[in-house]
This record gives sequence, C-alpha cells and structure tokens, in this order.
Amino acid sequence: MKKLILTLVVVFAVFSAQSQNQYEQGMNKAFALWKEGNPTEAVALFERIASAEKNNWLPNYYVAFVNITTAFQVMNDNEQLTPLLNKAQETLDMELIKDPNNAELLVLQALIYTAWISSDPMKNGMKLSGKVMELYSKAEKLAPNNPRVVFGKAEFEIGGARYFKQDTSAMCGQIDKAIALFSTFKPESVFHPNWGLDRALEAQKKCAKK
Amino acid sequence: MRTLITFLLLTLTQILLGQTVISGNVMDEKKQPIQGANVFLDGTYDGTSSDVNGNFKFLTSVKGIQVLKITFLSYEAVEHKLTIENYQEQTFVLRESVNSLDAVIINAGMLQAGDKARVSVLKPLDIVTTAGSAGDIVSALQTLPGTQMVGESGRLFVRGGESDETQTFVDGLRVAQPYGASANNVPTRGRFSPFLFSGISFSTGGFSAEYGEALSSVLLLNTIDEPVQEQTDISLMTVGLGLSTTKKWNKSSLSINTAYIDLAPYQIAIPQAVDWNRPFQSLSGEAVYRYQFEQGLLKVYTAFDASRFDLNQENLNSQVKDRVDLNNNNLYFNAVYKGFLVNNWQLIAGASYGLGQNKIDLNQDDINNEEDALHLKMKVFSKLTNRFKVSFGADYFLTQFDESYSPFQQSRLTISYNSEIGAVYSEVDYFFSKKLAFNLGIRASNNAMLEVSSVSPRASVAYKTGKFNQFSFAYGNFEQAPRQDYLKFSNQFGTEKTQHFILNFTFAKEGTTLRAEVYYKKYKDLVKYDTETPIFSSDYSNSGFGYAKGLDVFWREDSRIKNLEYWISYSFIDTQRDYRNYLQEATPSFVAKHTASVVTKYWISTLRSQLGVTYNFNSGRPYENPNTEGFLNEKTKSFSNINLGWAYLLSPQKILYFSMSNVLGTKNVFGYEYSNTANQQGMFPSRAIIPTASRFVFVGFFWTISADKKTNQLDNL
Repeated sequence: MKKLILTLVVVFAVFSAQSQNQYEQGMNKAFALWKEGNPTEAVALFERIASAEKNNWLPNYYVAFVNITTAFQVMNDNEQLTPLLNKAQETLDMELIKDPNNAELLVLQALIYTAWISSDPMKNGMKLSGKVMELYSKAEKLAPNNPRVVFGKAEFEIGGARYFKQDTSAMCGQIDKAIALFSTFKPESVFHPNWGLDRALEAQKKCAKK
Repeated sequence: MRTLITFLLLTLTQILLGQTVISGNVMDEKKQPIQGANVFLDGTYDGTSSDVNGNFKFLTSVKGIQVLKITFLSYEAVEHKLTIENYQEQTFVLRESVNSLDAVIINAGMLQAGDKARVSVLKPLDIVTTAGSAGDIVSALQTLPGTQMVGESGRLFVRGGESDETQTFVDGLRVAQPYGASANNVPTRGRFSPFLFSGISFSTGGFSAEYGEALSSVLLLNTIDEPVQEQTDISLMTVGLGLSTTKKWNKSSLSINTAYIDLAPYQIAIPQAVDWNRPFQSLSGEAVYRYQFEQGLLKVYTAFDASRFDLNQENLNSQVKDRVDLNNNNLYFNAVYKGFLVNNWQLIAGASYGLGQNKIDLNQDDINNEEDALHLKMKVFSKLTNRFKVSFGADYFLTQFDESYSPFQQSRLTISYNSEIGAVYSEVDYFFSKKLAFNLGIRASNNAMLEVSSVSPRASVAYKTGKFNQFSFAYGNFEQAPRQDYLKFSNQFGTEKTQHFILNFTFAKEGTTLRAEVYYKKYKDLVKYDTETPIFSSDYSNSGFGYAKGLDVFWREDSRIKNLEYWISYSFIDTQRDYRNYLQEATPSFVAKHTASVVTKYWISTLRSQLGVTYNFNSGRPYENPNTEGFLNEKTKSFSNINLGWAYLLSPQKILYFSMSNVLGTKNVFGYEYSNTANQQGMFPSRAIIPTASRFVFVGFFWTISADKKTNQLDNL
C-alpha cells in the first residue's frame, strides 16, 4: 500500500513538474520567437499558454503587450493597427476583470490609449488623454515604486509640456527617479514584466539635451 | 497487489505517452487558406499555428472530450467540441468578424457624432467648435445635410418637415420641451449644453422602431457613461457666466453644469434690431448622477432652466407695438437603468418627466400655460449570436396640458387636455455576412385621447459594394399626434402620417467621408383648419397631404492638408404640402430649394490657435404676398453668411475664444409679413423679417481645472 502511495506521489510529482516545465519552456520559447522578430507566433504561443494557465495573468499580459508593441510599429496603417489594439484590449480586459488593481495591467491599458492617441490625435487626444492620466495616477497609488508606472506617467506628461513650451524639469526628474527604480526593481519571477529601462534612458538623453 | 501496481503504472505511462495527432486545415469563407491561425486545445498546452497552406498538425496527450479553439485576428473564433479518440482530420472555416471596422453598417438616414459611431460625420469636438454655432447643439446640426436653415426660429427643420416633426430623446427618453422659450421671429436655442453628452445620433429619416411620435426625424443625445476625471470648468463670457464640475467616487459620479446668461450688458454695448424692455436673461442648471452596479448602470439626469424677456414687436395691424413679456420655467428629469439580466439579455428601463411653464403677457392679455409630460420606457434586447440581435420594448407617453387665457377686462378662458399614448415595438438585426445586413422592426401604438391605433413597419438593409463603400436602403411608416396648438381646441383628429424611402451611399476611408442620400417622403392625414390661426371655432380635419423628395450630400476630409479639417453639405429639396389653412398645395415658407454649408477648422500650431470659418447659403424661401396673384409663390433673395471663430490656448487649460457671426454684414431677409388690411391704395403694407442682429460678437475665457493639467474646453466651444 505504501508503495502504491509512493508510486502515485512520484507519478503526480513528475506530472506537475512536467506541467511546470511546460510553462517555463513555453514562456521561454515565446520570448525567443518574439526576439527573433516573429510576434504573431509569439502571441499565438502566449495565447495557448494562457489557455492552459487560467490563473496566471502573465501569458495574457504578454499577448496584450506584444500586440501593443507591434501596433506602435504600424502607427500609420489603420487597417493593421485597429485589429492589433482591439486584440490587446480584449485580452487585457480578461485579466483586468480578475484583478483591476494590478499596476502592470493598468500601465498596459494606458499604453493602449496612448497608441490610439498617437494614431489620431485630433480624434482621440481630448477623449483619451484624461483617461491615460487617470490610469497612471491610479497605478501610482497602487505601486509608487514601480519604474514603469513612474516612467510611463512622466513620458506622457512631457509630450504635452514640450508642446506648450513649459518647463519639463519636474518630469525629467521623474524620469531620473524611474531609472533609479529600474536598478532596484526585482521582478517576482523571470517572466514578470521587467521592461522599460532602455526607453527611459533614451528619454533621459532627450532631457539632457535641453 | 503487484499486478495492480503494474497495471496502474502502465496506464499512467500510457496517459503520459499515448499521444494523439490532431491535424486539419483552416480557411476563410472564400476557401482561401489562413496562415498563422492559432489552433489549440483549450485548457492545455497543446496547439500550433496553421502554415502557409492553412494546415496544422500537433500532438496531444489529453483524452476524452475537449474543445479545439481556433483564433485569428479580425475573424470570429471557432470553438469545436471533439472527442480526442475519435478525431478525424477536418477543415475549419473562419468567418470574418462582423464587429470588425470594415463590416457593413445600416445607416440610411443616420448622421452620427461622437465616440461610438463607426462612420461619424462629426467628431465629438465638432459639435461645438463649429464657428457660428455658439455652443448650441442644434446650430451645429444645421450645418449637416437634410436640415433647413430657418434663422428666425433656431429649431431643427428636417427634409421639408416642421420643427415639431423632430422628436428629441436623452438616453432614449423623450424630451417634451427641447427648446427654450422664444417670441415670434426671435430665434431660440436648444436646452442642452454639449458638456454632458458623449454621443449624438441625428436621424433625418427611416429611424428605428424604438422611436415613435415623430414624423420626420429623431435627435438622440446620450449622456456620458463614465466621466474621465474630476474637473471644474469656469467660463466667463460677454453674455454670462458658466460653471461646471465633475466629482468621482468609487462607484458613482456627479456632474453639475450651471449657466447664467444675460444679454443686457451686450445690448448696451451693441444695440440690436429688437426693441427690448428687458433683454433675454436665463439661469439654467443641469446635473447627471451615475451609479455603477455590479451588473448595470443607473443614470439620473435633470435640467432646470428659468428664463425671461420683455420686448416690443412691431405690428402691421396697429399703430402701437405689441408688448411681449415672457417668463418660462422648464424642468426636465430623466432616470435610466441599463443592465444585464440573464443569459446575454440586457434591460433598459427608464422614466422622464418634463414640465414646461409659460407666463406670457401679450399687451394687456395674460396667458398662462403648463405642460406636464411623462414618458415611461422599457426595453429588453439580446445579442443571441454575433450576427443576430433582437429587441422588444414598450413606451407610455402621458401629456397633461392646461392653459388659461385672460383677455384684457374680459373673463378668463381655460383649456386643458390629457393625452395618453401607449406603444410596443420589436426589432431584429441580422448579419448575413460582413457585407450584407438587415434590420426589421414593427411598432404598434394606441392613442387613447384620439381613440386611434396603428401599426408601423420599418425595414432597412445594407450591402457593402467595395472595401470602402456601401449602399443602404430604409423604408418605414411613421406617425405622430397633432401638435399642442390643435389638440387644445379639439380631439376630433387622427394621427398625422408619413412614409419614408431612403437610399444611401456611403464612402468612408481614413480621413475622408462621402455620404449621398436620395429620399422620398409622403405625408398624409395632416391637420387642416379654415381660420387665420387655429381657434375654438375652426373647422378641423385630417385632410392635408404632401410630399418631400430630394438629395443630400455630405463630404468631409481631414487628412489631405495637415491641420485642416472641413466638411461641405449640400441639400436639394422639392416639397409641397397642403396643410394648415393653405389654399392649395404649396412649398412652405421654411423651405429653401438649395441649402449648402462649408465648415472649416484650421489648427495653427505656432499660434496654438484653432481658426474656424463657416459659410452658410440657401436659395430664396417662399412667402405669401397678398398684393400678387397666386399662393405662396414669391421668393426672398438668397441667404448667406460667413461666421468666424478663433480659439487661442493661453496655456493647456486656459482658452480665450472670440467669435463673430456674419462677418461681412450681409443683409439677409428670412421672409415678409403683411398687414391684414389693405391701405388706401389697395396695397397690403409689408415688413421684412430680418435677423435680430446683423452681427453677433462673442468673447469668452474658459478655464479648466483638473488633475491631468491637460484637459480644456476646446471641445465645448
């Protein structure tokens, strides 16, 4: 009887380890595909992982994030842009319903709106820029030391301030702060969001030029 | 024992290793292979993407009943239930999503503005950045095709119809008194400030069975569901002050908007063609409260407005001017709940109440009247599938009208009536494909006061003929109870009726919209009477009739020249009717055969300014000249004006706004009035009806205070 239990335990352990492995393998492969310049395949794989890992928000996070990143590259082609952003929104909605207080998800929502604004400022600027700021403010309350929140907010504000030739030093200060936060930020796992430092450094350079 | 363990281990190994091949093919409705579709077993890691030929193949170790899911951007996802052990290679056809941006839309007769519209003729900003509109929703709509510019009225006249043939709804509920009070030939404004509305649908015909009691048109205003942020707006204008503010809480929000308008200081600065004793003065307030439930949203809207003016109007029939002293109070209240029921069914339930009170002193006669109007509404609807939608609903309208008339040194006369109308309707929407869709509706209505019932069918179909263009056709029967002016003297009426036929062509490509519509509208059972004005002793009947036919063209272009947006509207109309006390079928005086508008907005980045120029034109309007033969066969000269608006952003949240109407000072004439009696030469003396001011100048300062430090009122100017 003992043996039976032991066998079952072993088998079960193997089984779950394999599933754990599958998750890691899958995620790694998806990241590799994305890096190789194959976002469609990467999204497909993230989507499949999401279907198996219903309680993990990360796969869907990346389905949305990869689509948003791709959208920013096709900004002038509305026909490509719209389905990408719609897909990102759909996927993000699935996770936001489960956890409306996840700062990382709120940052993605802000990015989706930012993409709509950049694609047609006249049409979407007035309507969405308030929403973007509201999202960043909410995220800031939830995670004041998340570098992506601090940087996202500063970067969004800086665009408007430059246009009105207003002083941007406060926002540049926030970018410096974000960069410091990037260096101390410890993601919960290797797959948790950990992007943004390169963009922040670039924004810092722009600040220095002035 | 050992055999059992061995058996168990063997089974488990089989489970772990016994894999099944799942393969097949994915293609679209035209039998073209789809590459890159994501094919997987839901809830597992097993899956792949389809290759260049649409083929897919993967191994799975799961067993039993599973769901094979196939997803692809802009296509409807397929969920196919299968038993792994019995799976046979299959071909899956993905259908293009009818929700996608380029699917056909049923839009004959419809002009939309705002967020949710897919082909919107106006952007949210435009409703009011249009030069010459001065923040009045109705004025902005008058630059769209299908409307008549009736400068002396300020109301909406659609496709040869009278202004009361358009019914206004806020969040689906009737607004019984949509306009501010006005005297004869002094234009009025719509009651609603654009501040609280996120979308406007303006139908110039062929509208849904959901809306009734309108012969020509419906104007649907929707309040904002969820305000973006807390903010306060302050407006200082040459004609008054405005303050609005929005507060947000966890599940609810409140927006309040108040305005005080007083034309007295302006009148002193720039005298107008009106002989005021007390220039127009009004205090108005609006509020929207929203509460978000788990499964629904409650919105409560209320508007109050008190206005007064006192003026002297020239009367051709007497030596002295007529004195009109008017006090108007209006209250509108509306509550709507929208939420989910069970299984994809949604519910909209609401009530609206409108109270209009007028106290008019006409020389030494006193008129007091009050209208109480109630509307109850209930609608349930469901998207049964992505392609099939049904809805059912019911309306109940109750109107109570009381008027007392006290002629100078005579006894008081009182009039009142009570009108009750009940209606039920149902509608289905079906998409055959991304290219072909139809909508069928039916509305049955009973008017208890007039003791008449009727059934009105409505139908529309839309077909996409190319990537960017489509045709749609709408047909419908419409009816409306006769207006207050008649009902207060008699109830021996049937309802007035119209029939609409509309063919629409729409071309919409990024930055460019072309919309052309031809229509035919038939009127019957219009009210006729046999006196100068409707009175007690008039002989009333429903023997009037008429028609309207025409062409409406709208062109909008935003992208060709940087920072320039413009639209051009043109309407041609041929209409005649025999109604009221007409001697014969004739074109009414509010109709011009040709109407055109050009609206431009240019953003000057270096000056941080938006410059708007609007040009309006209409050909001459008919008027009746008793000095000549025939009926309503004289025409005024054509009308034109150029309006200018300039918004300057002092800082992101402070705007200075300047506007001037009729910059060139064109002398326009809306029509002529004639004396009732001929003079000694046997001629009837006349007087031209002209705009109250040849030019109107407006200066305002608008300041927004909000957390994002970016939002401003540019879109409300």
